[in-house]
Formats: sequence, C-alpha cells, structure tokens
Amino acid sequence: MTDSKYFTTTKKGEIFELKSELNSDKKEKKREAVKKVIASMTVGKDVSALFPDVVNCMQTDNLELKKLVYLYLMNYAKSQPDMAIMAVNTFVKDCEDANPLIRALAVRTMGCIRVDKITEYLCEPLRKCLKDEDPYVRKTAAVCVAKLYDINAQLVEDQGFLDQLKDLLSDSNPMVVANAVAALSEMNEASTSGSPLIEMNAQTINKLLTALNECTEWGQVFILDSLANYSPKDDREAQSICERITPRLAHANAAVVLSAVKVLMKFMEMLASESDFVSTLTKKLAPPLVTLLSSEPEVQYVALRNINLIVQKRPDILKHEMKVFFVKYNDPIYFKLEKLDIMIRLASQSNIAQVLSELKEYATEVDVDFVRKAVRAIGRCAIKVEQSAERCVSTLLDLIQTKVNYVVQEAIVVIKDIFRKYPNKYESIISTLCENLDTLDEPEARASMIWIIGEYAERIDNADELLESFLEGFHDENTQVQLQLLTAIVKLFLKRPSDTQELVQQVLSLATQDSDNPDLRDRGFIYWRLLSTDPAAAKEVVLAEKPLISEETDLLEPTLLDELICHISSLASVYHKPPTAFVEGRAGLRKSLPARAGSQENVREPAAEASVIPTQESLIGDLLSMDISAPTVISNPTPAVDLLGGGLDTLLGGDVGTTAPPINQSTSGLLGDIFDFTPTPTMYMVPKIMWLPADKGKGLEIYGSFSRKGGQIFMEFTFTNKAMQAMTGFAIQLNKNSFGLTPAKPLQVLSPLPPGATHECSLQLATTGGVQRMEPLNNLQVAIKNNIDVFYFACLVPMNVYFAEDGQMDKRLFLSTWKEIPAQNELQYTLANLNLNADGIVQKMQQNNVFTIAKRNVEGQDMLYQSLKLTNGIWVLNELKIQPGNPNITLSLKSRALDVAPGIFQSYDNILHS
Amino acid sequence: MGGLLSYFRNLLGSREMRILILGLDGAGKTTILYRLQVGEVVTTIPTIGFNVEQVTYKNLKFQVWDLGGQTSIRPYWRCYYSNTDAIIYVVDSADKDRIGISKDELLYMLREEELQGAILVVLANKQDMDGCMSVAEVHQALGLDALKNRTFQIFKTSAVKGEGLDSAMDWLSNAIQNKK
Repeated sequence: MTDSKYFTTTKKGEIFELKSELNSDKKEKKREAVKKVIASMTVGKDVSALFPDVVNCMQTDNLELKKLVYLYLMNYAKSQPDMAIMAVNTFVKDCEDANPLIRALAVRTMGCIRVDKITEYLCEPLRKCLKDEDPYVRKTAAVCVAKLYDINAQLVEDQGFLDQLKDLLSDSNPMVVANAVAALSEMNEASTSGSPLIEMNAQTINKLLTALNECTEWGQVFILDSLANYSPKDDREAQSICERITPRLAHANAAVVLSAVKVLMKFMEMLASESDFVSTLTKKLAPPLVTLLSSEPEVQYVALRNINLIVQKRPDILKHEMKVFFVKYNDPIYFKLEKLDIMIRLASQSNIAQVLSELKEYATEVDVDFVRKAVRAIGRCAIKVEQSAERCVSTLLDLIQTKVNYVVQEAIVVIKDIFRKYPNKYESIISTLCENLDTLDEPEARASMIWIIGEYAERIDNADELLESFLEGFHDENTQVQLQLLTAIVKLFLKRPSDTQELVQQVLSLATQDSDNPDLRDRGFIYWRLLSTDPAAAKEVVLAEKPLISEETDLLEPTLLDELICHISSLASVYHKPPTAFVEGRAGLRKSLPARAGSQENVREPAAEASVIPTQESLIGDLLSMDISAPTVISNPTPAVDLLGGGLDTLLGGDVGTTAPPINQSTSGLLGDIFDFTPTPTMYMVPKIMWLPADKGKGLEIYGSFSRKGGQIFMEFTFTNKAMQAMTGFAIQLNKNSFGLTPAKPLQVLSPLPPGATHECSLQLATTGGVQRMEPLNNLQVAIKNNIDVFYFACLVPMNVYFAEDGQMDKRLFLSTWKEIPAQNELQYTLANLNLNADGIVQKMQQNNVFTIAKRNVEGQDMLYQSLKLTNGIWVLNELKIQPGNPNITLSLKSRALDVAPGIFQSYDNILHS
Repeated sequence: MGGLLSYFRNLLGSREMRILILGLDGAGKTTILYRLQVGEVVTTIPTIGFNVEQVTYKNLKFQVWDLGGQTSIRPYWRCYYSNTDAIIYVVDSADKDRIGISKDELLYMLREEELQGAILVVLANKQDMDGCMSVAEVHQALGLDALKNRTFQIFKTSAVKGEGLDSAMDWLSNAIQNKK
C-alpha cells in the first residue's frame, strides 16, 4: 500500500459540495451555488479550486448568473492563468450578444482580466466593441484600451487601437468622447516613450469642446485636463478655447472649476497680457475661486493650496479679494497658516492697513505656531511694501512690549531682516531690542540679536559688554549663534579697536582652538589672518556693503511654479512639488507653460531629465572620488604648509610681494605659448568630434579635439549652450590616464555662456598627473562642471600629441637599438592609398615630431628609418618601405612597449592622409 | 402547465443528456454543434474555450459541449468528463497528417475512468473534400478495431452539406435510450 492516498482529494467538504452543485442540471441550484462561491470569495475564502466549474456556468442567458461568474473570473483569473483560456470563447460570443449590456459587461470584464496568455485573444472582440453601434459599449471599450495598455503597451500600438481611440474622440456621444479622452490621458501618463501617444489637433479639440458641455462632471474634468495638455497654435486659438470653457467656471463641482482654471491659467500665458480679453478673464476667475472657499474643509484646503500658486503667478486675479483670506477663529490651523501665506502675497499698498491690523490681531492668538507666523508675516509685509515699513516696525515694537517670549523672539528675527532691507532707518529701536536680550533662548533669535549688535556696534555703547555676556557660554551655543558671535565681535573690533582687542582674541581662540566645528574654525582662522596681516583689508572684507534683500525669498522658483500651474487640481498642486518628486517609477513628461505670444522660442519642449550615462562603468566611480569643485593645477603645487602662511595673503589681495609663488613659471609658459602660437600651424590636429551631446549635457554641447602647439598639449573645445539659461562656473577634471594628462591651467570658458552661444577655447595640458593604464591606452575620462551639473564623458587622445620635440635619435644609437629590440617586438602595418613619395613623408612626419634618421634605396624601394619619443620617454623606431607606383606603404614598428603601436599606426594614417 | 409537465418528465427519468464534442482543432466541431442546433452553417472562428448549447433531437434534450481542439486547450477536456453520456469525436478526414495525433488523443481520452460508460460516436467529417479518407480508412487509422467494451459507431459526415449527421444522431438517440 502506498501513501498516495493521502494526496487524493477528499470527496467531502464545502468545496466538494459546491463543486457538485455547480455541475447540477438544475439552473436554480447552479445559480445558488455560484452565489455561495461569490460569498465565500468576498469573505476571503480561497475558492479558486472551483475555477473550471464556475467557468462552465459562464454561458447562460441569465444576466445575474453571468455577472456573478464574471466577478469570479476577475478575481481568480490571475491565480489560474492557464485555465483562464477556457473563458475566452464565451467573451468572444458575449461581445456579439444582442444585448448591449452584455456586450459592455463582457468587454469590461475582459479588461479586468490581467492574464498575458489570453490578452491577444481579446483584441478582436475589443476591436468590434470599439466600433459597436451602442454608445454604452463604445465608452466601456474605450476604457478597456487603457487597461490593455497597462498590461501590454506594445500590443495596443500594434493592433491599431490608438487610431480607433482617436476616432472615438470625434464620436457623436459625449460620454464616449469623455471616456476616450480619459483613456488617452491615462495611457499618455503611463507611456514610457515620453511623447504623447496621440497628438491633438484643432479639429479634435473642437470636438472635445463640443462634448464638454454635454457630458457628466467627471467627463468634463477629463476633457478639461486633456485640453490643458494641448498647445494651441496661436493666440487666437487659445483665446477661442478660453471663451468656450469659461462657462465651466460656474460649475458646482470643484474639480471641474479647478480644471477649467488650470486651462485658463495655462492659455492666458499665450495671450498678450494687456489685452482686454485677459483683463476680463482675470476678473472672471476671481468669483469661482472665492466660491471654492465656502465649500467643505477638505475642498477648501485644496483650493487654498491652488490659490497660493495662482496668486504667485497672477496676483491680479485676487487682488481685491483680500478679505476672504482673513482668518476665522474656528479655522483649522492648516487653513490659518495657508491663508496667512496668501494674505502676504496679496498685500499691497492699498490694503496694507487692513492686513496689518488683522496680523496684529492674530499675534495675540493662543496658537503658538500661528502667532509666530503672524509676526513673521508682519515683517514680510514691511519688506514687501516699503510705505508700510514704518507702521510694521511700530506694530512689531508694540508686540515686543507684550513681553510674550516667543512673540519677542520672532519679532527680533524679522526686525533683523527689516534692518537689512532698510539700512540706517529704524536703528532707534535698537535700545528697545537690547532690553530683551536675556529672554532670548532660541538660536535663531539669539543669532539675529547678535547680528544686530555687531552690525550697529558703533551705536551701542555697551556692545562689548553685551557680546561678552554671550561669550561665557560660547561652547554651549548653537553653531549658528557661535558663527554670528564670532563675526559680530570681529565687526566690533574693527569699529572700536581700542578697547576690544582682548575680546576678539578671546573669541578667535575659542573658535580656532577649542572648537571641533570646521566651519567655525575656518572662519576663525580667516579672520585671524586677515586681522594680523592687514586690518584695513579686513575692514573692507568684513564691513563690506551688503546686498539688499527682497521679499521674493519665500516665493516658489519660477520654473517650478510654472510646472505646478500645469498641475493645478492635482496632488502636485497641493504638495507644491512636481509629480516626479512623489510618484515613483513615473518618468513622465515635465509640463511647462506655453511660451508667451510672439516669443520666438517655443519652450514647450519637455525638459528631458537627462542623466549623463558614462560610457564606461568605471568612469563614475573614479570621477566621483575626485573633488570636482576646483580645477587642480598640478604644474605649480603649493606646499601644504604654506596654506595659512603666504597663501591667504595672496588670496585676499594683501601684500603680493611677500610670496613669490611658483605660478610665475607657468605664467611665462603661457606668455610663451601666446607668442609662438602660430609657428607650427602645420602640426596635424584631429578634427573636433562630438564629446558630449546636448541631451546628455542638459543643454551643454561639447565638441573637442587635441593638439600639440609649441611643445605643449592642448585640449581644444567648442562649447555650445543649447539650454534656456546662461551657464557659468565651468571647471574641468581629468581622470588618471595612461600618460598622466592633467590640466595645466583652469578651464577658461566665456562665463556666463548665454543661451545659444558658442565658445571656443583651448586648455593647456601637462603630463605630470596621476598615471593609470587605460583601455584603450589613449582613453581619457573627463568631467566638466558648470552651474547646472557635472557631466562625464570619455574621449580618445590621438597619439601624435604625445610625440615629443626631442624625438630624434642618434644614427648609431638607432641602429643598435633596432638590433637590440627582439623580433617579437616588431609589428607591421600597411598604410593604404598614399600618394606621397619618400620626401613628402619625411616632411610631413617631421612637422609632427617624427624624425627621419636614415633613408636608403634597396632594389628600387625607398626605405625610411624614423624615430619618435613619447612624452613618457618611450622610444618608437619605425621602418617604412615605399615601392614606387604602389600606394600602399609597409610600416614596421619596433618598441619595447608595444602597447603604443595601435595608436602610432593610427597617427601615421591620420598625419599622412591629412 | 409547462413546469408541471417537466416535473413529470423528470420523474420519468428523462433528464438532459450530456454530450461532449471533441476532436482536433479545425475538425469541424463548432460547425457540427450549430448545424445540430439551428440547422444552418454558421461562420465560426477557432474556439478558444468552449461552447455549450441545448439541442433537441426527436424530443430528446441534449446539453452539448463543444470544446476547443487547440493543443493548449486539450489538457482541459478532462474537466468536462464527469457525468458525460456520450462523446462525439470529430475527425477531419482530409487531414491525413494529423490523423495519428487524433488517434492518440482519442485513446488517451477513452482511458479516462469517468468516461467508461460513455457512448462514442466517431464522425469522419469533411467527406465533401476531394481526396479525403474513406470511413474505412478513418476506422483503420484510429484503430477502432481494438476497442473493447464500448458502445460505438462511426459515420461519414459533411457538416457543411449537412450529410450524415441525422443518421449519426438517430443512432445516438437509440443507443442512449437502449442503455437506460
């Protein structure tokens, strides 16, 4: 007896009973059984074992039973992918059923069955349903295409479903149009290609606009959202679309309203801003936005976040609606903070009085976060509206009088900003501020106060005492405070050197000797050196005039704002983050606003998120470990010890004469180069090739080559800025390479390099860098940095730039070396199709530092013996065999390092063919 | 009244007969099913899955299951074997290349325990095609001589012309009734 009996299924239990009921002849019993199965399924029991039996109930006239079976299929097809094929024929039949409800049901269920094996069988029925006479079936089928696209995008494209979907965009039924639009936009978002699957044209847009008025609210949202992705060809088209969707602003559904706002905001970019149409539109946009603020809290918050974007983009829309953003006592805190933000953005000269009295009111509330933000808002108003500054300052002073700890601290932080913005205007209040010195316990407030004391040290009699009091607990302070204190005391010293010398020495020694913080130490050392070398220079550096600040600091970055405007009424507009920042795995298109009418450049090009992929795996690792921020000038190494000695003096423009840096050497070298720039123009240079294409360089395109001039190697660049912004801060690094190439000077690129500009420059190289064998030997890995990013690429250095000027070997030495090098170190190469005689070759090679040692004529053949020396000291000996009338020349090469041979053959080829 | 009538019929044991139509893909199973049901030739596409229809022949009710014959579907035939009264096995008489496969599938199926009591009707279909095998040849090729303990008969048919189906159904009806 075997144990196999344990594996035979039991003929008992619930599943078995259900199975026999499902196979019953009686329809009623069958139906009951299916219901029981569905019930078990919904409570989470595994009834997948009944798959074949349930599928057998699929062909029935009973709609109820059919729906239940379909429900079962959607749930379990995935767990029984092979068996699912048995359902295909029924789907095919149901898609041709006389009842449109059954046809739609079948096509919908098919879309929900995500089994690869059967998708291909479902294409044919889907195709039929897309052309169905009944709109309900068509609209269901349209969504099914999007579902299929998610399973198998290629299939959708191959089967021509995209074209069918496009036809549905001009369907007579608005619901079908809406669903087709919804399916398309979903597929566009999922599309990996990055380009829209179907380009909308004016005709389809017209159809969409017609359907817009007739379909359901959610259909309207889909249509409006896809309109927002359309780019009208000119401002007239944009205007007519705007006119047709303006009525949507009156819709009761907030989603419809916001989507309409999105389209209008986007298309208004294309219209001339001073036109009547734009000003009426601006007026029309305000009421719907205000209405949104009277809906339920969730919608209100979304509306507020979106309004925050809208007022940043177009403050005009809501400039008269300040009052609706006044905080209500029972608003949730997240409303209050958001409203406060919008209030400040809307604050202007005309309404500042109202705003200030509101803000003052808020500053007496109980919620600490809100109060802080309100105080800060007063400061921001002062900076934003100059006329109100005085009133703001007095309001802040009133608040300081309250002596409420956090109010005072917050007020001091903003007063510091007001001092920055309006220097020499409100310093009279400093004494009031100083009274509150002891109550400050937050780092930011302490740092601000210290900054104020340092900045106005000459007006505060006891500034030294005040600062000294902070110094006692120096090491317990926050870094921010420590740095401020250091700077403030240095300022004080420069202003009142007589009685504060002790204090400054104390703080310098605290900062440099007793601190572990490198920032603090470095700042301390710099001040120390400055003060000890040249106090006058120190004064100029430390007490330099500061640039004014503006209120724009808390605004969103314009490009981000534009992108977010395109995402109004989505999660992105609530987060104020681009979708790519929080949706994983969706590369998607970055949206941007259309270009303003009349401007030449079309900025709708999606800003491709180019990530430069290095050609070799090793590249990243090697280059990342280097410090890219500053070009290393290896030819004139500064002794490390001297860093604090002479180095800083020269750096800060002190007494230059004291140090004679070895820079001179290279300067003279540079001058020499400039003067004998032209003598050897005949030296061969490989034509420039593309090193970094613009799409990998985020708009920076680099062509380049290498040359040898006046005994130096140069890297020749052509930089082209194909981005929309100027580029600055260029720097270069070379990875370790076979010949130790390294920049001899910093990279000098026209900076800023304006958009569209091309700049040529050459960079002198030295061969004193780190040596590491590369594959191929002449491979060079380069990193170029600018203000946008760091870009990595690899290029090949033609070997002839390494041919040294002193490559002429003595005749006898040549002979003995030739004999000494063993025969296995000889390589042959054929230089094909050369129409040069021996003399021509001699001359051409000589110009490129390949020297002819001897010339012989053997049996009518010319034999040339040439020598060359590479910068790293490798000698290469060559023999050329030239037969008259034969365009092919045999080159025999002998060297102790045969690795260089391929590069040398290549150089011979290039030079002689040039 | 109808409900009452069927109630009596059930009492008399005249339940719906379960018939499977099997065979390789393209043998003509679906065409035969609909020929039996509606008496017409319908355009068919390869059956990926199954069709099931009620067929009434001479006051006998049959529930006829037509299963797809593709290689990928044949493994699932077994899910339909239980309670089967008769099998109609359709052979494409013009497909000499695959007659061997057809034989293998038939024998494999007949070994199933659940089908031990089932009546077998073999239809040598597509007799209207030129150069097709005769009934005797099909009989020979399927190795029907070796069948033991099985009520079976072979018929030549042409589903598109409607020939031979009636005699096959006559025989099947009788065989089923005799068996009771």
